[in-house]
Amino acid sequence: MNGLMQLISMPIGMPAVPIDQIINAPQFAWAGFILWLPLLSLILCGVCAAMKVKTKLPAIITILSLAGAFVLTAMLFLNYEGPVTIHLFDWIQSHWSDGAFIANFALYVDSLTLLWMLFVTGLGTLIAVYASEYMEHDLGKGYTRFFAGVSVFLFAMGCLVMGDNLLMLYLGWEGVGFASYWLIGYFYTKPSAVAAAKKAFIVNRIGDLGLALAIYLIWSTFGSVQYDVITTAMESHQHDAAFGGWTVNLIPYLLMLAAFGKSAQLPLYVWLPDAMEGPTPVSALIHAATMVTAGVYLIIRTYPLFFLDDYALPVVAWVGGLTALLAATIGMAQYDIKRIMAYSTVSQLGYMFLGLGVITSFGAAYHVFTHAFFKAVLFLTCGAIMHGFAGQLDLRKLSGLRHMKGWKIVSYTMLIGCLCLAGFPLTSGYFSKDAILAEAFVTHGPGFKVLGWIAIFTAGLTAYYTFRVWFRVCCGEKMYEAGDELHGEDPASFHPHAPRIAINTVLVIVSIGAVLAAVPYFTENTTEGLHGGWVAEMVNDSPGKHGLPGMAHGHGEDHHGSILGMDPHKAMYYISATVGFIGIAIAFFFHLLNRKAADKVRSKLLSSRTTRWLPTAMEHKWYVDEVYIALIRSPLWITGKVFALFDKYIIDMLIVNGTAAMPRIIAKWFAPLANGSVQSYGVSMVGGALLVGLLMLFMPEIVELIQYVSAQSGGGQ
Amino acid sequence: MVDRLFLLTPEFILLFGAIVCVIAGLSNLAVIRRRVGFIACGFLLASAVSVPFVYNSSAVETSDALFPHLGAYVKFFTAIISIILVMAAGGLIDRNYEHAVAKGKDRFHALRSSGGEFHGLLLLSVTGLMLVCEARDLIWLFLALELVSLPTYVMVAMSRWSRIAQEAAMKYFFLGAMSAGLMLYGFALIYVSTGSLVLQEISATFQAQMAVGGGLTFFAIIGVLLSLFGLCYKIAAAPLHLYAPDVYQGTAAPVTAFLAFIPKTAGMLAIILLLSMIGWERGLPPVIEMSLWVIAVLTMILGNIGALLQQSTQRMLGYSSIAHSGYMLMGVIAGPPLGLTAVFIYLVIYGLTNTGAFATIASLTKEGHRVDRLEDIAGLYKHNPLAASSLAISSGSLLGIPPLFGFWGKLLLFIAAISAGQILLVVIAALTSAVSAWYYLKIIGLAILSPLTEQSQRVTVALKWPLIAAILSAIIAIGGPFALSSMIVDANQAMMLPE
Repeated sequence: MNGLMQLISMPIGMPAVPIDQIINAPQFAWAGFILWLPLLSLILCGVCAAMKVKTKLPAIITILSLAGAFVLTAMLFLNYEGPVTIHLFDWIQSHWSDGAFIANFALYVDSLTLLWMLFVTGLGTLIAVYASEYMEHDLGKGYTRFFAGVSVFLFAMGCLVMGDNLLMLYLGWEGVGFASYWLIGYFYTKPSAVAAAKKAFIVNRIGDLGLALAIYLIWSTFGSVQYDVITTAMESHQHDAAFGGWTVNLIPYLLMLAAFGKSAQLPLYVWLPDAMEGPTPVSALIHAATMVTAGVYLIIRTYPLFFLDDYALPVVAWVGGLTALLAATIGMAQYDIKRIMAYSTVSQLGYMFLGLGVITSFGAAYHVFTHAFFKAVLFLTCGAIMHGFAGQLDLRKLSGLRHMKGWKIVSYTMLIGCLCLAGFPLTSGYFSKDAILAEAFVTHGPGFKVLGWIAIFTAGLTAYYTFRVWFRVCCGEKMYEAGDELHGEDPASFHPHAPRIAINTVLVIVSIGAVLAAVPYFTENTTEGLHGGWVAEMVNDSPGKHGLPGMAHGHGEDHHGSILGMDPHKAMYYISATVGFIGIAIAFFFHLLNRKAADKVRSKLLSSRTTRWLPTAMEHKWYVDEVYIALIRSPLWITGKVFALFDKYIIDMLIVNGTAAMPRIIAKWFAPLANGSVQSYGVSMVGGALLVGLLMLFMPEIVELIQYVSAQSGGGQ
Repeated sequence: MVDRLFLLTPEFILLFGAIVCVIAGLSNLAVIRRRVGFIACGFLLASAVSVPFVYNSSAVETSDALFPHLGAYVKFFTAIISIILVMAAGGLIDRNYEHAVAKGKDRFHALRSSGGEFHGLLLLSVTGLMLVCEARDLIWLFLALELVSLPTYVMVAMSRWSRIAQEAAMKYFFLGAMSAGLMLYGFALIYVSTGSLVLQEISATFQAQMAVGGGLTFFAIIGVLLSLFGLCYKIAAAPLHLYAPDVYQGTAAPVTAFLAFIPKTAGMLAIILLLSMIGWERGLPPVIEMSLWVIAVLTMILGNIGALLQQSTQRMLGYSSIAHSGYMLMGVIAGPPLGLTAVFIYLVIYGLTNTGAFATIASLTKEGHRVDRLEDIAGLYKHNPLAASSLAISSGSLLGIPPLFGFWGKLLLFIAAISAGQILLVVIAALTSAVSAWYYLKIIGLAILSPLTEQSQRVTVALKWPLIAAILSAIIAIGGPFALSSMIVDANQAMMLPE
């Protein structure tokens, strides 16, 4: 309240508190268009919707604006010389006597921002091209709505990644959540899609609550929500153990909660597999490549805050490792290939958090980068299959795709994606995953070695379920069944329609990207003592530099652990390659050579009482959804019902209607006063004025009288 | 002398405009007669534009006023809002008569047309309001206040064929005369107790009396109290609010909008001038503060509760405008700097949104008759979404739904009262404005959600200018908050004291 009052009485528009650390770069003001272009595209899409445009115009608008945003990001990258702030406009500036709350609409551009924006806008553009063909069955109906949603997403993601303060990040955070809700529920006539959209939104709210509380705590502790001010404040209090009290230690956990929600980690991962109800380009862009990595971005961006509490990073590591394992086991037992990819995304995100937890922000960032490409390829190929086979995604009902006419590109780009995901030697996924795995053995922490072995085991599972998909769908004899989205075609005379130029081009480009994503690992570093190539270089300018290979991260020089007596980095190349080969070999045997054997193993497991639980539980996703429903949703639902009854009978009937009736009854008392006659009005007015006046004039006497009377009665007792 | 006259340039423009309007209204040419509204708008605009030039000029000496910069703020905003008020009346005055003339059924006769007089009187009343903020002595203040009121008596009576309007005008005039008597008696007593008519001198005498420690003399307090009661009539505050529902219901909607804004603003400014002579720094004398407190509470309660039972839209809005006076009195009690800033801003916000609500009513017609029953607006959305939406937005803003303009006005008033320690007053205000939600939401619900009824089916949106005025004020109600911070700066400027 004090603040608001000051706001009114003080002249508004005071200049912001000058902060020397901020290097303002007004010459880069054009970078604002990275945000404004998607926003413009949203508005134009809205115009298209209002004009009922039936052509591909909205797609063209969106592609052009996203491409423009990519070009601008690339220009910013080429002109990059060091972290800068680009002030776009004053947003929220409240000053009061002893503090201020400043959150400007400003961009903070360091190389971490650029790394993220490059693949966000780049993949965004490519996937929009892909979607222009993929979504054409909805031309004139939902087509515009789809591209408007993509534009909203890119705008929000831009705010999230490029904002110079946590409030802008929050704006983007909510914005991408909203875009995700919008696009998951794209087929809003389908109940499962609507349910999935709601689930995604509601589960994310839990994480968002964490973020909101974290922002509040950060602001109340460090006095600002701007990144550079927070960093400076942290550095000045580095040796002050008592600084800020216990709430400071809460900050990393709240941020973590936010990251776990958005990036689908235990216990909040349940929304992501269901989110596959959205159109496949959305799954590829939002739910695999970009939005779900926002949690990783948040943690890297606020990395120094995670050193505030000794157990913060180990918790991140364990949650990540366990999520990776759990999601991989579920993924093994699913039949819907898109769903397998969804669980694989959860699992790979788990790897990234494991990386963050074992203090290799480089590994996490690099895995985000490679994963964005190869998972996009995988989703886009799934989408192409779904598109061509009328919604068919069951791997038991598709086979031998690579022998079919027009499906060669899809099959082999899928192979590239699978190789990367399985961590096949010399692919991009191999290097990025190893950077994380090795670090688990290097960094000392509670049970990090166990975690390392879990992660290696998960890598084997990953290789298995990935190639299970590829061997089933793309190899073997030619066989297919149409899905249920026939749009009036006769299922008997169904012919798959192979993808055309837009989808194929994008598939080829993105898979080339997935292959080339290995290259940055080997580029030379300009910073002394730094390994890990271009990505490490990009992380180096940012708060994430605490977790770079070759740089000190608070564990001393003799931090190098060992694995089976070897240097972890070298050992990991061999171990993970071996594990990957084993996984692929098992998949090769069960799903290509001897497909019946797989079913035999399954029925054998099911027939035995002691082992029956394993495949059932895995197929039913370890019953996590059911547990959540029993533990959280049902109690809430029952409480809600009770409250609803209370609301209906006690509040509405008794209190509200009762209170509402009262003023009307009082109003009836006064109605005779307004009888319309001038004389009585005159008398009432003068009389009323006299009454008030006399009462006031003789108030001292009245007060005295009352005091006298009360004194008398008091004396009488 | 010349400097003083130069200061009154906005007033002179309007005075000249009033004469031009009256003459133009008597023209034989229908083309000119029908454009009187445009002429009036033109002069109002010229007046508004002249304000910054006048007040930024170095030739102007305003240090002899109580608030040297008050005029700049008030004149500019009242001129702008008056433009919307004129728009709200567009095409309504003489509609049937002009229609008959245009069809050749009737011949034009100067005595039977009233468009020119209406606009002329309107401009004169606005001139009076502008003169109030330049008042240097009590005589000037009284004459300016009467210049505000006298034209409005005639404007109410302008609907010559409506008996209810005649009755309203008569009531308004008699009770107005009575209140003017009260006020004048109060002024006389102030003169008796201070020996001066010049505001600054009175102020100095009051300060001297208070500094001695004995407080104001008895006659001074009685004088201020009586003047306050007289002014309560202008702002329609209890217990002198009784005329308001009848008069507001009886007159045409645009005139009601005018009554609810111009005289109210003039009264509020006069109250502020009066109280600032005593000053808030030492605290108002308890008698006066308590009286204001009681008046504010009574006004809020009676206004909001009275509106609940009404079946007439204009009567309901009339009661609502009473309640708004109560809210503003809260700011007056709180005093500078926050309270007065809040009142200045609230006056503008209230004027705009109230005009929007009345303008929507003015744009409607039911088979040639005016629309007054609440049920007539049921299902308005199906007839005309724009009219219904602007009515809903205006009502929402009057109620104070965030983020509309009215919300911010109310918020500022509440903050001001809380910071002045008037917690109980704010609690009462919050409760009564919760009560007000009932009837404002009823308007919104009827206009937007409810289906058409047999009665409301016959209602049509007949006039375009009132509708445009309503849409304009609805847009301002939505977009206004963005200008709030600069308005706060202006209002802070307005209540700066002479150096």
